Amino acid sequence: MIKVLKPGLQTTVQDDGRVGFYETGMPPSGAVDQYSYAVANLLAGNKKGAAVLEITYMGPELEFQQDATIAITGGNIPPKINGEAVPMWETVKINRGDVLSFDFVKQGARSYLAIAGGIDVPVIMDSRSTYTLCGIGGFNGRALQEGDALSIGDVQETDVKEGTRLTEEYVPEFSTSHEIRVIIGLCSYRLTEESKQRFLELEWTVTPEANRVGYRLKGERLDFVPREQPFGAGSNPSNVVDLGYPIGSIQIPDGVEPIALLNDAVTGGGYATVATIISTDLNRIGQAKTNEKVKFVSVSLEEALKARQETNRKLEEIKNIIQSS
Amino acid sequence: MSDLKTRYSYGGDEFIFVELSEDMSLEVNFQAMAITKKLREKNMPGILDICPSNASYMVRFNPDQIHPDELIDELKKLESSVENLDDVVINSRLVDVPVLFEDPWTHEAVMQFRDRHQDPESTDIEYAARINGYESKEDFIKAITGSPFLVSMIGFVPGLPFCFQVVPREEQIEVPKYVRPRTFTPERCFGFGGGFSVIYPVQGAGGYQMFGIAATPVFDKEQKLPDFQDSIVFPRQGDIFRYRDVTREEYDAVRAEVEAGTFEYRKKDFTFRPDDVLKDPRAFSDMVLGRLYND
Amino acid sequence: MKEIASPLPGVFYRRPDPEKPVYVEEGHEVKAGDTIGLIEVMKSFQEVKAEDDGVIKSIKVEDGAVVEAGQVVAELE
Repeated sequence: MIKVLKPGLQTTVQDDGRVGFYETGMPPSGAVDQYSYAVANLLAGNKKGAAVLEITYMGPELEFQQDATIAITGGNIPPKINGEAVPMWETVKINRGDVLSFDFVKQGARSYLAIAGGIDVPVIMDSRSTYTLCGIGGFNGRALQEGDALSIGDVQETDVKEGTRLTEEYVPEFSTSHEIRVIIGLCSYRLTEESKQRFLELEWTVTPEANRVGYRLKGERLDFVPREQPFGAGSNPSNVVDLGYPIGSIQIPDGVEPIALLNDAVTGGGYATVATIISTDLNRIGQAKTNEKVKFVSVSLEEALKARQETNRKLEEIKNIIQSS
Repeated sequence: MSDLKTRYSYGGDEFIFVELSEDMSLEVNFQAMAITKKLREKNMPGILDICPSNASYMVRFNPDQIHPDELIDELKKLESSVENLDDVVINSRLVDVPVLFEDPWTHEAVMQFRDRHQDPESTDIEYAARINGYESKEDFIKAITGSPFLVSMIGFVPGLPFCFQVVPREEQIEVPKYVRPRTFTPERCFGFGGGFSVIYPVQGAGGYQMFGIAATPVFDKEQKLPDFQDSIVFPRQGDIFRYRDVTREEYDAVRAEVEAGTFEYRKKDFTFRPDDVLKDPRAFSDMVLGRLYND
Repeated sequence: MKEIASPLPGVFYRRPDPEKPVYVEEGHEVKAGDTIGLIEVMKSFQEVKAEDDGVIKSIKVEDGAVVEAGQVVAELE
């Protein structure tokens, strides 16, 4: 068991997501940074899809009541065992009675704590991920609270040697300005050409409304092409007949502040969507903190697929490195 | 349907978004339903989610398994195969949904957010009745409850049904959304925005006009009620909901059944063809109401 | 002298709400666990607390200012 002494700001159980229920209005949830999540599981020797803890902005304080192998990846929230610094992106042993805590966040916003065996919570609709909006999955459908006790599961695949670590090329760096690649499309025909340009030129600022549902960004007002609104859409020029929102899609209600949807997205609604963040960079946008800067870079489908293959290749290499160590 | 200008678009590298029309109509909704049904039946590898919506649909896929352009080619073929909707059959359910209009809980929320509304001097239902040309809100409620609604999309949050009324275009109700979205909407609130009525499954933010409250849930994560044994959400696209105006007494009685875990929707399984609806929506509506309450 | 640092990046507030008086003034005596301000992040508020007893020597951040995680918001002596 792991006892939660302090919960952190928002620490939730997450995995690779609840896929296949989007048409019922159920978003996938799951780790926002799927790359860091997958690496944490590899370093802990877990099977693909094991549940981990997603830590946001401020780390929890956890007392381990049994020996365990752990790995921490993602945003740099420096971990400590019994007050002594321990490395991230490395397989670490922790003993019964030890307390894992975290220092102030340095870079990024979200870290992943994988424990060999995975976090054991009930599987709800094929996933252990927490969807807090409806209180589904994870630990009682909510973020961790003081006094909770977590069980360790049995989805460990290999025994990874303590001290196994990754070289720099596999460790993403997060700064305070984030270049996020998007594919322009969906209802982008609704924006004026000038506003489409401005959308890509501007440096957007992350507002305090930035969570697992979505990131609201501040910059300047964008304009929609004037038209007589189609039947059923509603009267605002940013309104469309209610449609599905892809994960990573960006909408601009009333042209005022763009919202990029993340893993706990609302699955549809009546605002024109204008672009979608590519899967590789969904791993990065969730590492942006309030007041940091985001710039959107338009890429082609081919570039998006290439970036994705690159990420897949890295994960494959990491797997081989860990297996041969 | 040759006048439809379908837009195929990449939603990043994991989604294809297909907008069949900018305008809402029963015809385009049936087309989206038909295409997504056929796609589901094909069981193609790499397809993760198939999400029909009102005048569009969306597919999530794993691009490591299927190239987006290959998928678009397939979707275009499916679109042309359902062009005249001839061989399309929709498996539906006729469902009676009791609604208490102008209930105290919704009214409190209506009054709390007057500063975000187009017409702070009226209530949402008074405003909506007026701009749709009804003499009184009673007449307006009659128009809502007089003909059933097609569940044309599920989404926003789990279980929220977007419903489009089965009446000729000129009788369709249309209302704007709130000027600024609310931070609160009661659970089970019966709302209306654009051309759609909705039931909010859980309390939360919202932008639709608020007219009343459904006595019955559309979402039950505990799966206690008989109608939720297979899924935590009740509505399915293609269902036909009849919103029935009920008294406070009946509302309370239904609530007690829901609380006791014994409530079951009055419903009938039903199949129909899009053409049955499109050639005479009025006659279709009368027929399904008869079927739901009499046969 | 002890420093009180913000545990989170966000916006620092000295009052529980705009109508209310500030939590602490310079020269005030505080006890360990007393709230000295709030940090707003992700639409939620986290209290910043003194970890020791003492007297507030100085408040280093203005009401409504953006702070980094670990930034000193007050000094205690």
